[in-house]
Amino acid sequence: MMPEMVPSPPTGGNKTRPSWRERFGHVPWFRRYEFLGGLFLLLLALAFFLPPFGRPQSTLVWIEIAVYFLAVLFWVGIILSDIEKPNWMKAIAAVLIVLVFGWLFYQYSGARWDKLAHAFFNWEILSATGSYGSTTSAWIELLAGLWLTLQLAFFSIIFGTVLGLILAVLRNLHDPVLNFFLTIWVDFFRAIPIIVLMMLIYYAFPYLGITLSGVVSGVLTLTLNSSAYISEIFRAGIESIHYGQVEASRALGLTTMQTMRLVILPQAIRVVMPPLASNYVAMLKDTAICSVIAILELLKTAITLQSWLANPTPLVAATALYLLILIPMARFSSVLENRMKARGVSRALASKKG
Amino acid sequence: MGEDRALMIEVINLHKYFKDHHVLKGLNQKVYKSEVVAMIGPSGAGKSTFLRCLNRLEEPSLGKILIEGTDITATRTDINKVRTEIGMVFQSFNLFPHLTALQNIKLAPINVRRMSEKDAEERGRQLLKKVGLQEKANAYPDQLSGGQQQRVAIARALAMQPHMIFFDEPTSALDPEMIREVLDVMDNLAKEGMTMLVVSHEIGFIREAATRILVLADGCIIEEGTPNEVLKHPQHSRTQDFLSKIV
Ligand SMILES: Nc1ncnc2c1ncn2[C@@H]1O[C@H](COP(=O)(O)OP(=O)(O)O)[C@@H](O)[C@H]1O
Ligand SMILES: [Mg+2]
Repeated sequence: MMPEMVPSPPTGGNKTRPSWRERFGHVPWFRRYEFLGGLFLLLLALAFFLPPFGRPQSTLVWIEIAVYFLAVLFWVGIILSDIEKPNWMKAIAAVLIVLVFGWLFYQYSGARWDKLAHAFFNWEILSATGSYGSTTSAWIELLAGLWLTLQLAFFSIIFGTVLGLILAVLRNLHDPVLNFFLTIWVDFFRAIPIIVLMMLIYYAFPYLGITLSGVVSGVLTLTLNSSAYISEIFRAGIESIHYGQVEASRALGLTTMQTMRLVILPQAIRVVMPPLASNYVAMLKDTAICSVIAILELLKTAITLQSWLANPTPLVAATALYLLILIPMARFSSVLENRMKARGVSRALASKKG
Repeated sequence: MGEDRALMIEVINLHKYFKDHHVLKGLNQKVYKSEVVAMIGPSGAGKSTFLRCLNRLEEPSLGKILIEGTDITATRTDINKVRTEIGMVFQSFNLFPHLTALQNIKLAPINVRRMSEKDAEERGRQLLKKVGLQEKANAYPDQLSGGQQQRVAIARALAMQPHMIFFDEPTSALDPEMIREVLDVMDNLAKEGMTMLVVSHEIGFIREAATRILVLADGCIIEEGTPNEVLKHPQHSRTQDFLSKIV
């Protein structure tokens, strides 16, 4: 079977490809391939007459560059605004405008690219050993920092989730006295900036005779902070479960705690997975705050290396490492969210197990 | 009637208030073993509230309720234990959506009765067969029709081997073509001698299966008698009024 490229007209019968005129006769002149192709070749040719590398000195040359850029923009605009142009052509056009802009900026911004590369993308300085009296390279130090960041995030997430879950379950007992204290807890830790809480625990607690190591202070701070948010997430999840579920459980003789454990939480956890995942992304980012109490996690390592090496490349490298970890996590939480939206909660379950 | 049979439920002067709203106004009632008591009456009469007070899904405001001789309003009564003897079937089924039909049925026997996994599985399958759904054991509630869900809900209630079952409008949420299959299951239960309290307006079912009818209006039992008496010769004008509307 041959795949039919052009759908035959609904009247049927005529199976021959329509002529060029029939297919494109209605297209206005500026959207025609003849015109766009010609303009493309013209722009390609004109590129050779653009001024040489370096910051232009006269206004006239600036205008020349601007007109050239606008002409490319015009060409791209025609293609992107035409629903009949194939998607691959639109994609090429979109990439092209970015490349042309980048190229013009590279040519005429007057930036000292060599100096910039030396300052921000100095990979040699990162991989050299012994440059600041250390036997390891800066890369290794950064990876060690990343490892500590991941550990901080891991323990904060575990403890924060457990504590948040306990708070949410306690909240569900609807005890007025208990609720009063739970409300204070949640409001307090949501209101206080993480950085302030962390410094308080690390620098002020020793005066009360409570001295905690940096890592413990960091994890404790992030746990307390996230417990407030996570308990609210769980609470919303628990409250989203229909009250008939509780009644059916209680009528069967299940205790309050059995109802929570066997009926409510298994349903609620599926509801809270997406917000929980995006909360975990935020927590991993928040570990960077631990740099203020001298924990050598990724950011603090980068800052320290920056001052030792007198070069900001470590910060750029740290940024890359953060993105490397966080972009997939953020993507994953979006996927979870979309999946929940696309299929009902129980339906998602049914297709997984049934 | 049946005074020689065991007394299952005794309600003495039951009152229920929601805030200032007086919903049940001093009900007295005795239900004996194997009775099928149908409750009818206009919406808002207090039928659901009455049923829900009997297993304390609602707290009675005043009065006494004895289930098989146990005063369930007494503070030292373990209400969870009493509830294991009372099955409850709801208008909206209330199956657990994260569990399969079979898991729905096994949950309470395993966790409340401490039955072994194997025994619970066996009983679960027997009950599914009894309600005609043996091939749906591994289906999730949202893969079942309303009638099938309600039959699973009945099987779930039966799994605890209760001494009585309450039905609160079990067919009101169902499409007409599914009502019969649920009523058939209830009919069979009645024939087996199960003690049943049924809020329902399915006159055909009531005429056939019920041993007694209670008519509730405004929180009072305004009329009581056999189906023949109440349906054919209603005494109270509000009963006549109500019956003329639903038949
Ligand atoms: N949880 C509740 N809170 C306040 N009022 C309620 C509650 N449940 C029922 N009621 C009221 O009690 C009355 C009886 O309700 P219900 O027992 O559901 O009637 P029926 O089942 O006969 O239709 C109604 O007026 C209803 O509004
Ligand atoms: Mg009702």
